[in-house]
Amino acid sequence: MVEPAVALFGEAYERAARVLEELLRESGARYTLLLDRKGFVLVHKEALWAPKPPALDSLATLIAGNAAATQALARMLGEPRFNELLHQGSAHGLYVEEVGELALLVVIFDSSAPVGRVKLYGKRAAQVLESITQEAVVNPGTLGIDSEYRDGANALLDELFGN
Amino acid sequence: MSTINFAAREINFKIVYYGPGMSGKTTNLKWVFQQIPQNRKGEMVSLATEDERTLFFDFLPVDLGEVKGFKTRFHLYTVPGQVFYNASRKLILRGVDGIVFVADSAPNRLRANAESMRNLRENLAEYGIKLEDIPIVLQANKRDTPDALPVEMIQAVIDPERRFPIFEAVATTGMGVFETLKAVSREVLSRVASS
Ligand SMILES: Nc1nc2c(ncn2[C@@H]2O[C@H](COP(=O)(O)OP(=O)(O)OP(=O)(O)O)[C@@H](O)[C@H]2O)c(=O)[nH]1
Ligand SMILES: [Mg+2]
Repeated sequence: MVEPAVALFGEAYERAARVLEELLRESGARYTLLLDRKGFVLVHKEALWAPKPPALDSLATLIAGNAAATQALARMLGEPRFNELLHQGSAHGLYVEEVGELALLVVIFDSSAPVGRVKLYGKRAAQVLESITQEAVVNPGTLGIDSEYRDGANALLDELFGN
Repeated sequence: MSTINFAAREINFKIVYYGPGMSGKTTNLKWVFQQIPQNRKGEMVSLATEDERTLFFDFLPVDLGEVKGFKTRFHLYTVPGQVFYNASRKLILRGVDGIVFVADSAPNRLRANAESMRNLRENLAEYGIKLEDIPIVLQANKRDTPDALPVEMIQAVIDPERRFPIFEAVATTGMGVFETLKAVSREVLSRVASS
């Protein structure tokens, strides 16, 4: 309706997952995520040594909101875009890079990962991910949501919200 | 458009609560958060000012459960209703699948309701969407205010052609809250199933 959907599956999903894993290894970061611009998580990877991540749903929503606001600011200042977004505290950092028009790459790291390395490998990964997400844009008509799915979902709505 | 993650076997829908400032959008979400079981919801995120007015958005993920092997999830958002937050409001509408318009039943908010609906139309137009392109459900909230206007009068102002279903609500006690959410969810589902 509003914009095309990115639907990662099969081989494209595997490729994106590999890119995120490699990025974790190369940068030394804790978590990497690929989000769509609406704040839905498409793929995420965690380093084996990393502690349990915070709620990814909320994280993704805030990052997408933040990125959207940053972009709106750029336009108001006459810039086509501000490319990257970096937040750094004393122990943790958050790096966000645009992946074309449709997605965002997120890298969450701690003080054991040098920022320079996160940015360098982050930018490289974002380029590869851009072509993968472009191929994964689908026409909603081909998604296979049918009336059987709808009826099943409606039954669950009754169950959760009452008749 | 909904986001489908085949790998994780998830389908996500985005529903936005719109309407004038103080009409009860955040209160709707709080009620939903309080009432649904722990295993069906995520964290509620509220970006609000000191005095609890929404500054950017509220967010609540609701898990419907599994349908045909797909985890189905609704992401609920509210916008900030205050007029001067329009830039933020516009951003929240990105990728919306369905809208709940929460109107205030108090007589002195009749005009604010109308202006907010006009603002919704304008903001959707910036994404190339018309009101009739998207599932919309109306809610006449604050029915418990002593001088609440008749629902027909509110409808005449926000939807004179009576295109959208309207529900009466008292969000603070939960009356009408689930009914409204269920109605918009159904419309969203039937829209994707027929596309
Ligand atoms: N009497 C009554 N009060 C309500 C009702 N629903 C909400 N309120 C109160 O109205 C006030 C504003 O409610 P919110 O839910 O914060 O309003 P909002 O639409 O999110 O406002 P913004 O964030 O500024 O856009 C709060 O004090 C609520 O308790 C209702 O049905 N009846
Ligand atoms: Mg609010």
